[in-house]
Formats: sequence, structure tokens, C-alpha cells
Amino acid sequence: MSEKRTMTLNLSHAEMRALEALCEQKDLSKTAVIRQALRLYQLVDARLASGGKLFFEDSKRGKAELIAV
Amino acid sequence: MMSRRPTRLFDRASERIVRAEILNEISRDELIDIHMDWQPARLEALTSLRGAGKPWPENWHWDWGMKAENLNLLAYRCFAVECEGRTQGLMMVSTIGWRGRIDVQAGKPVLYIEYIESTPWNLAGFVESPRFSGVGVALIEAAIQVSASEGFAGRIALHSLPQSQPFYRRFMHDLDIDPAHPEKLCYFEMTEDQAKAFIEGRPI
Repeated sequence: MSEKRTMTLNLSHAEMRALEALCEQKDLSKTAVIRQALRLYQLVDARLASGGKLFFEDSKRGKAELIAV
Repeated sequence: MMSRRPTRLFDRASERIVRAEILNEISRDELIDIHMDWQPARLEALTSLRGAGKPWPENWHWDWGMKAENLNLLAYRCFAVECEGRTQGLMMVSTIGWRGRIDVQAGKPVLYIEYIESTPWNLAGFVESPRFSGVGVALIEAAIQVSASEGFAGRIALHSLPQSQPFYRRFMHDLDIDPAHPEKLCYFEMTEDQAKAFIEGRPI
């Protein structure tokens, strides 16, 4: 990666718990999880802005639900 | 910002190991330039194959210029192998959206190789006497290093064209045909242990 810059992130207790749970589940550092979240957010936003749609498919019900981000 | 680090290839003509470089963070415009550099050689090789009545390789139609728009997004990154002043191979990876399928790393993020290719003049499917070998190995090594730097511990994955599957079976788990893949390609995954073994036992 290119040169990195540092920032302070203020999170609520609930947000921090969610972040720590993701770190545990994914075996990633907090920085890595935040990076993943940013990349995903940017990708989804770009796809939606260009007319794409985002679906989650439920294998049990066999239906797809449009998720608006 | 592009950075470089040393790697090595095998020069088939001189039968020597030669110095090469991995270029990190290829930009959209740089990728288009590389595509334009490769395209004449690709077309020449395909014309020659057609003239000789030989089959075309499965990746004959790959167009890196068409893939360049992905590089406007943080999720995608592109790497190149350069030797003797020319790009010898390319790889585009995605750092989001892919989770391990093998039991030991199920659900954990893996670095996914979207595309990986040597130049036509390095591929036996395109030319009778390929120039350099070891391009794929150098790029897989780069992918493992990126995976590690992302916190993925060297875990990588890809879908492979049939012609390339014997290569990946040498150092990755073959999870067979992926029914969810649009072209029904085989899915391969590398574990953390396999990544360590690959780096330690690098063939070139």
C-alpha cells in the first residue's frame, strides 16, 4: 500500500463491541476491519450510483431482497 | 503510489535466472498502457496459431484495458512483473468479498485473484518458444505478500481456467467446479500453511 496516515476514531461502546466481534470472527485487526468496511462501502456506493442493484439471496425462502445502502 | 521490489524470473533462452521487479499499485492509466503494449504480440500470436491450424489458448480474448476501471475502487489492486524494461505479467486482486471455504479458514477473509496472466510471449499456448518462465510464481508470491499485509495471513483464492489448473494444483487446494461461478470454473484456495510452504520452497 502507499504511504499511510493516522486518524483517531471515536466509537460508542456498542460500535466498539461490534468492531471487536468482527475482529474476532475474521481474525483481523481493527484497522483491517475498518479498511474492509471502507472498501466495501465505496464499491457498493459506486455500483449503486452507476445504476447497479444489490441483492441478498435467502437460500431457505429462495427470494431476493433489494438492499438500499 | 507505485513501489517496486525485487523478484526473479527464468530466461529460457540463456537458461539463467534473471532479475525482475514486482510493481505494486499499477494505476488505471498504466494498466491501459500495458494492455496496448501487449496487444500487438497477442494478435500476432493468434494470427500465427490460426495460420498453423492450432487451437487458441483459453485466455486469448483477455482485455486488461477493459478491467482498468476497477482500479478506481479501493477494493481492487493491480500488480505487474517487469523485466528488461517490459511488463511480463499482470495480476488484479480484490481485497473484499471473499471468505475462506476450506474448514481451517472457513469464513476468514482471503485475497481473491480476479485475473492473472503472463504476456503472450511468455506463454506456450501463444508462442513456440516462451521468453521467460516464473512469472506466475512471482505473481502468486506477490499475492501472498499482499494477503499477509492485509491481515489475511497469506490466504488467497482464485477460479482457474482449465489450462492453468495443473499449475495451481501444485500448491493450492482444488475445491472442484464452483457451481456459482458464471463459467463454472474450478475454485482454488491457499491456506496459511500452504502460503508459508510456497514462500519457503519457491521453485525459482
